[in-house]
Amino acid sequence: MSANAPGTPLPQGIGRITPGWLTIVGLAAVAVALGIYAYSLEASEGLVATGLRDLGTMGGATWGLYVTFVVYFGGVAFGGVTLAALIRLLRLDELRPIGRLGQLLTVVALLLAAIAILVDLGQPLRGLVNLFLYARPQSPFFGTFTIVLSGYLFASLVYLYLDGRRDAAICARTPSRLRWLYRLWAAGYGDSPGERARHRRASFWLAVAIVPLLVVATSTLGFVFGLQAGRPGWYSAVQAPAFVTLAGVSGVGLLIVLAAVVRRVAGSEDRLGLNVFRRLGGLLLGLVLVYLFLLATELFTATYTGEVVERRLTEALLWGEFAGIFWAALAFFLLSLALLLWQALTRRWSIPLLVVAGLLVNLAAIGKRYLIVVPSQTHGQLLPYPEGSYTPALGEFAVIAGLFGLGVLLIALFMKVFPIVELPEEEVPAGA
Amino acid sequence: MPKYAMAVDLERCQGCRACVEACKVENNTSQGVFWMHVFRLEEGEYPETRISFLPRPCQHCDNAPCVKVCPVGARYKRIDGLVLTDYERCIGCRYCEVACPYGVNFFNWKQPAENYYMDWSDPDIQPASGGEVPPYRNPELDGRYGSEQKQVAGGGHFRGIVEKCTFCVQRIEKGLQPACVTVCPVQALVFGDLEDQESPVSTYLRGKQSFRLLEETGTEPRVHYIGGRTPGTDVREIEPVEGRVGA
Repeated sequence: MSANAPGTPLPQGIGRITPGWLTIVGLAAVAVALGIYAYSLEASEGLVATGLRDLGTMGGATWGLYVTFVVYFGGVAFGGVTLAALIRLLRLDELRPIGRLGQLLTVVALLLAAIAILVDLGQPLRGLVNLFLYARPQSPFFGTFTIVLSGYLFASLVYLYLDGRRDAAICARTPSRLRWLYRLWAAGYGDSPGERARHRRASFWLAVAIVPLLVVATSTLGFVFGLQAGRPGWYSAVQAPAFVTLAGVSGVGLLIVLAAVVRRVAGSEDRLGLNVFRRLGGLLLGLVLVYLFLLATELFTATYTGEVVERRLTEALLWGEFAGIFWAALAFFLLSLALLLWQALTRRWSIPLLVVAGLLVNLAAIGKRYLIVVPSQTHGQLLPYPEGSYTPALGEFAVIAGLFGLGVLLIALFMKVFPIVELPEEEVPAGA
Repeated sequence: MPKYAMAVDLERCQGCRACVEACKVENNTSQGVFWMHVFRLEEGEYPETRISFLPRPCQHCDNAPCVKVCPVGARYKRIDGLVLTDYERCIGCRYCEVACPYGVNFFNWKQPAENYYMDWSDPDIQPASGGEVPPYRNPELDGRYGSEQKQVAGGGHFRGIVEKCTFCVQRIEKGLQPACVTVCPVQALVFGDLEDQESPVSTYLRGKQSFRLLEETGTEPRVHYIGGRTPGTDVREIEPVEGRVGA
């Protein structure tokens, strides 16, 4: 391969600012500003600005929307990088163009999860210091802070970096304002056959290390809830596997949505073809089926045994205060299942339908995470406290919107700096 | 080393809630915070109703779920059995609160000084107070206790941390009884050292049938109830506490 002639643009629209991109980034920036404003109010008044209150005599829920989204973002993060690692491990070459998007999604989602934890803490600054000084492995939170946020973030950053070196080397051949970055990223990598083989080996072994790490990490998120014997609805052995499965569901679902967007805006229709989406759709179908099985097992156990508090909680889910969210989430799961099954059976896959399914499972996953976090606090008291209630404050919604805005912003920026779809083998970047 | 415990005689308790009041005064807790709570319960249908009372301090569990889950070790169990919170270490994640099946933890949602029952800046009370705002900091509650010398006593210290019943550690270390025990007009609350065979709590519990709350959750509480029984599943609070902190 020879260097490109000067003036050849970088692939996938890197460095070119378009009005559409500016609009998206502008909207995302507005959301981030809104979130920061909402949080500044919370920081000055205290968490009293949220809808959260104490359990028991105060009749509230002490964990709410923020913890819901810590779990949700943690789950999405799991889905992204696990898929990227599995592509290497199982040699799913068809799916390789989606690998970087998966790694990026993980890095971004973990960042958002970490911020969501910090905004939920009563003393966030102490949190930053004390979690390092006094961390206790006996606390299920330990896994969340160490394995999930630090270990996992580190592993996926390393993975993103290593996996990107070849593309950085290719991009560095083109003169551009970002050439220094590509040179830095490539760090001497020149894509010779020997280097390529070594690179492939390193990626493979990194993937081998990442997958079990991730399963353990996401399980610890489940254990945060599943190990609490005094909280009906949480105390369940199925919690960890269900967390891992729902994490996969939301991660793959969001990846489908993002891939469809990237396909459009980065002009990667050829690289992100229908076969990529077909594979992702099949994977999502399998995960949704496993998750619904776990959900059914959980509901059956809670209703059949007749343990009074457990049953009351389930009644609140099925027919009571939370019925709206529960049935909506279930309907979304079933609808996406129907969409996926239909496509799988007829073997006619459609990207718009897959995107709809991806969005539906993510809405359902958010609903389900909320139903894990909140009802056990307001309706799961073992002592005769009256039922509690929790309505998120506007500020909480604004902070969450800000987090999503930040996510969009980071991904959009990345797309203008680096190829978001892995460059094809042996291809000289030429205008994409 | 003493092994502190409390006995609660449900046959004596008449639900006057003097203990609740005494706890608030002693520990300087802010609005909506009830380290000691007395359930006033009712079960059955009229006219076949039965009324019962159930005082609920922190149970100072031997296998305390709140201690297990605390990510920074701010919630800890002392060798004498007290379960305390290091107010200077707590990060306010509220994991203890969701882990505790008894609902005894309270988070400082607001700046405690702004969350008292009396608004000292109110012009109506200015004539009585002479414009003086009483010292909000109680040196006794700001002290350091135990061999660990940690700030663990009283409430209303910092915004954004969790506080709960301490069995009045500041009184115990002076050889006094917890405020709720001292003030109970019918001596339904008994406190002492289980290691000492002659302590009030040991003699009170001796030979009597007792139970502990939610033993099935494996928490091994240090509060023993005599008379009465574990609240059934169809009991209801007669008048729920209107304790929600306003924004």
